[in-house]
Amino acid sequence: MRNRYVENFEKAQIADKEVPSFRAGDTVRVAVRIKEGDKTRVQDYEGVCIAIRGTGTGRSFNVRKIAAGGVGVERTFPLYSESIESITVVRKGKVRRAKLHYLRGRKGKAARIKELRK
Amino acid sequence: MEFLVEKIGMSRTVDVPSVPVTLLKLKDVKVCEVSEDGTAIVAYQSGKKSNKAIEGQQKKYNLDKSFNKFKTIKVANTEAGDIDTSSLEEAKELKTTFTSKGRGYTGVMKRHNFGGGPKSHGSRFHRRVGSIGMAEFPGRVQPGQKMPGQYGNATVTVKNTVVSYDGENGVIAVKGSIPGANGAMGVIKVVK
Repeated sequence: MRNRYVENFEKAQIADKEVPSFRAGDTVRVAVRIKEGDKTRVQDYEGVCIAIRGTGTGRSFNVRKIAAGGVGVERTFPLYSESIESITVVRKGKVRRAKLHYLRGRKGKAARIKELRK
Repeated sequence: MEFLVEKIGMSRTVDVPSVPVTLLKLKDVKVCEVSEDGTAIVAYQSGKKSNKAIEGQQKKYNLDKSFNKFKTIKVANTEAGDIDTSSLEEAKELKTTFTSKGRGYTGVMKRHNFGGGPKSHGSRFHRRVGSIGMAEFPGRVQPGQKMPGQYGNATVTVKNTVVSYDGENGVIAVKGSIPGANGAMGVIKVVK
């Protein structure tokens, strides 16, 4: 159990943040604010969420995608950070684990995730 | 102005860049007697310890039985009563004094960040001190030579900037870390 003062301090910061519920295996599109000099712009980053960790303000998630040239790219985002404009869940995946680090060792067809159908 | 606080623990903000913060909880403090130079005798709660000397003081200052510890700090009050926390509203920088975590008798690598020797290849010199001086001249060890000994459990003061102050709950968030364990008591002093 966490200290209630720490919890309240973090809750107050998160209270007005709207974050969609998603889990590992879902394909997400993250709009990231990028600061260049004195200008800011928004860049999309889309990939499979392979892990969510942490609690409170420190909660973060890991998104993996295959970039040009077949190079795997993983980025970790703080879930409640001001640097994230929005998070969109593009596709729900059917997985049986909370951490999908095994995808790192897979390529092509083997790295696919089935879509969750209800 | 000085205040008694308890270290709660650490957290962070969601700003860009994120700021690591340490949360401090103001202790419930009763001002008993203010002297002319601005210092005052204050009482606070800590455990259940009581004896005749403490009871006498409690009777003298009309205190509750639970206020069993006394300390002299600088206060903004001019009269006895609850402590005046208004100076914290505009505080920008604090000096925090805590007792650091005790590490006992430690070697020179942990205590003074010595490099140590190679672990393998028959080096026979791992975590030892090594040479502590020159030769027959000067024939003595220089004062201040870094050696093994008691590390920690000492009074440490650090300066931190204030990130936020919640007057309702008496919680102060300061940037960065603070010496000592969670739950430890210390003194903060408003610098700016």
